[in-house]
Amino acid sequence: MDQLAHIERILAMAGGIIVAVVSAYALKNDWKTPGLDNQVFKVMLALLFVGAVLAFLAGYGILGTFPKAA
Amino acid sequence: MAVAAAHVGGIADHIHPEPQGFIRKYIFSLDHKIIGIQYLVTGFVFFVLAGLLAEIIRVQLMHANGGFVSADTYNEVYSIHGSAMVWLVVIPLLTGGFGNLVMPIMIGARDVAFPWLNMLSFWIFPISGLMLFSSFLMGAPVAGWTEYPPMSLQAQGFGTSMWALAIFLVGVSSTLTGMNFLVTMLKMRAPGMTFTRMPLFVWGQLATAPLLMVATTALAAALAALFMERVFGVPFYDPTKGGSPILWQHMFWFYSHPAVYIMILPGFGIISEVLSTFSRKPPFGYRMIAFSSMAIALFGFMVWAHHMFVAGIAPFLQLPFMVLTYAIAVPTGVKIFSWIATLWGGSLRLTTAMLFAIGFLILFTLGGISGVFLAAIPFDMHTNGTYFVVAHFHYVLVGGSLMSIFAGMYYWFPKMAGRLLNEALGKLHFWLFTLGFNGTFLPMHWLGFMGMPRRVATYDPQFQFWNQFESISSFVMTLGILIFFANVLWSIKYGKKSGPNPWGGRTLEWMIASPPPYYNFKHIPKVFARPYDYSQPLPYKGLEEELTTAKPEPVPAGAH
Amino acid sequence: MAVASLAQAGAEFAPHGEVDQLYAETRDLRLLGFLMFLVSDVVLFSSFIFAYLYLRNSGQGWPPPGIGRPDVALAALNSAVLFGSGATMHYALENWKHGKFTRYAAFMIATIILGILFLSGQAVEYTKLYFQEHVSWAGSGIFGASFFTLTGMHGFHVFVGVWYLIVLLLQSVHGVYSKDKYFGLTAGTLYWHFVDVIWVVLFSIFYLI
Repeated sequence: MDQLAHIERILAMAGGIIVAVVSAYALKNDWKTPGLDNQVFKVMLALLFVGAVLAFLAGYGILGTFPKAA
Repeated sequence: MAVAAAHVGGIADHIHPEPQGFIRKYIFSLDHKIIGIQYLVTGFVFFVLAGLLAEIIRVQLMHANGGFVSADTYNEVYSIHGSAMVWLVVIPLLTGGFGNLVMPIMIGARDVAFPWLNMLSFWIFPISGLMLFSSFLMGAPVAGWTEYPPMSLQAQGFGTSMWALAIFLVGVSSTLTGMNFLVTMLKMRAPGMTFTRMPLFVWGQLATAPLLMVATTALAAALAALFMERVFGVPFYDPTKGGSPILWQHMFWFYSHPAVYIMILPGFGIISEVLSTFSRKPPFGYRMIAFSSMAIALFGFMVWAHHMFVAGIAPFLQLPFMVLTYAIAVPTGVKIFSWIATLWGGSLRLTTAMLFAIGFLILFTLGGISGVFLAAIPFDMHTNGTYFVVAHFHYVLVGGSLMSIFAGMYYWFPKMAGRLLNEALGKLHFWLFTLGFNGTFLPMHWLGFMGMPRRVATYDPQFQFWNQFESISSFVMTLGILIFFANVLWSIKYGKKSGPNPWGGRTLEWMIASPPPYYNFKHIPKVFARPYDYSQPLPYKGLEEELTTAKPEPVPAGAH
Repeated sequence: MAVASLAQAGAEFAPHGEVDQLYAETRDLRLLGFLMFLVSDVVLFSSFIFAYLYLRNSGQGWPPPGIGRPDVALAALNSAVLFGSGATMHYALENWKHGKFTRYAAFMIATIILGILFLSGQAVEYTKLYFQEHVSWAGSGIFGASFFTLTGMHGFHVFVGVWYLIVLLLQSVHGVYSKDKYFGLTAGTLYWHFVDVIWVVLFSIFYLI
């Protein structure tokens, strides 16, 4: 059980970093696009970035609680 | 085709093709006007049913120990009466009914933004209504239209769950209508029609649409939770399992307070139009009326807990709600004064529509005043749960919303039917209704002070005289309403022909034929000013061909 | 003014002649309507989130006695998966806009797979909660009630979203959308991002605080 949680945490951290970087990059690239739908996309990308950071922090152990040792 | 009309292009030149056959024309119609009539007809059918329930209430209350119905049945009767009147009558008539019928024409559009969604929204409505009334067969809800837990959790039979399903469904219809109207009013106004050139009825619908969308969804959540708890045992409201009955009250009233604004804002719009047309004067303080509607819609979300002053919430929480409730009386008061000023010095024509509008001013104001009383927490602690509250909301809902619905019917019936409603019968309807209404609901104010509780099938004999007085008055009111229906049915066939503009109105619906063609306008007009400057020429360009037999500009088939 | 705003909205679609103006205006209506739908969906979730926070705050302490705090490891991974699908969805739409169909399809398929993976992860989480921690929807007080209702609603939205994306993919293969007319894909992307954003909130309020 502990092993599994360990793997999950590492994958969560990895995924979190990747998505955070990608969404920040996409946000920077699309910053100047006009139109209502693009404004909404930008907000959502920003929130995606926030989420990815949270997932990373959770995987790292700063946020949330963890399986008790077996 | 050399007409100096604005060739707008795009949506303004397209309309779904002309429907063929009875079913497509009148049953499954995409035309907002037909859908509007369908809402009106269905809404009035439910009005008759809910009104019958009201008469059962009044017959039971004729005698202090009346035995007309059992106490349990009585509880079912007022629960469905309230639920039906709010969700199956007033809201559909004002939004789906008049909103659909008139709003698109008033903004110079050919239809709403999503006609298929409109049709779906309508058909959900009678189905959910049937579901609501079917709950009588399975143990109808007994906890009032507000269905507080734990009573709503404990009620036997499937009826309360059916109630939750039915209201959820009609809520979906409401939400979709709100979305549809909002997009329509934001994006499909005719060229030149800025927000401050829109008729005030459209402002009323514009203020109501976001309420329909946002508030109704909050109710859906509350109902879904109630259903899940009743049917699957998932604890939200049961305190023995960690839930909270106060949670239901918060969630329910967060919707139901904006709901009462849904039930009045379109009515305010109707009153503005009727008063202006029959005073032959612009509405006084157009911008105040328009913006105060938006303010009421916004503030309406901030006052819900004034229904919970005796629920046991902390006093420091109650105070802001009291203050905000007082504050919300201000924009409403602004409108009342603006309407009075509209009448002042006007060239008044006391048609039936105008009588109902003036009656609205008086009776709605009375209802508003009793509301201000109730806003005071100490006062509410004495009168909550008594007939004073019943008096208040019937004054604003019947003396307010229902009067505005009647005003709208007398005003716009000629537009739909091409014939006028009979004025003599109309005036008889008005006076019987007004007399009967006041006789029924005015004494409830002092019955409440005397301590008569609401939602009781029997009562202390000291209240008997006024209850009898009220019941007899209610029969007078009912007579007036029956005369109205007779008038409508008769006038559809035999009413005097109205022509396109019997009242000399200046909003766009009066510029086209009665009844209007399916495409509304041959050419979408260009708008130059508000419609209300009676001494000036009409502020539209491009309407020269509307009332002629000139062929319409080819309107390409194919819905967008 | 109405015409001017509609024309502005259509600017990025370079309307020439009647048909394009019609498309631009229609697209504008659909976009606003779809955004309204998302707003009402947000209100729906917000109502249940309010209920959860209200009940949680009603003085019994959290988590309620007898129930441990949910473990965050699996949920964090699942979150990363779902957020990843949001990123792939973004690039799917980007590639479509630039006419790169194969890349678009690859990213769409990746999004769908990640979405399905998220649902599987939720299934695992539910199984763990039900069989190991003995937390059920109706039998575990307000914890079970709010957790399963909210995450269940969200999971249902993801489920519908996965089907939606599959349909969009099939439609795009069949040529329903062109380089200039692809509102369905825009709507799908908006919906998928919305589902992501709701999960950010749910993840935070159930697992992190």
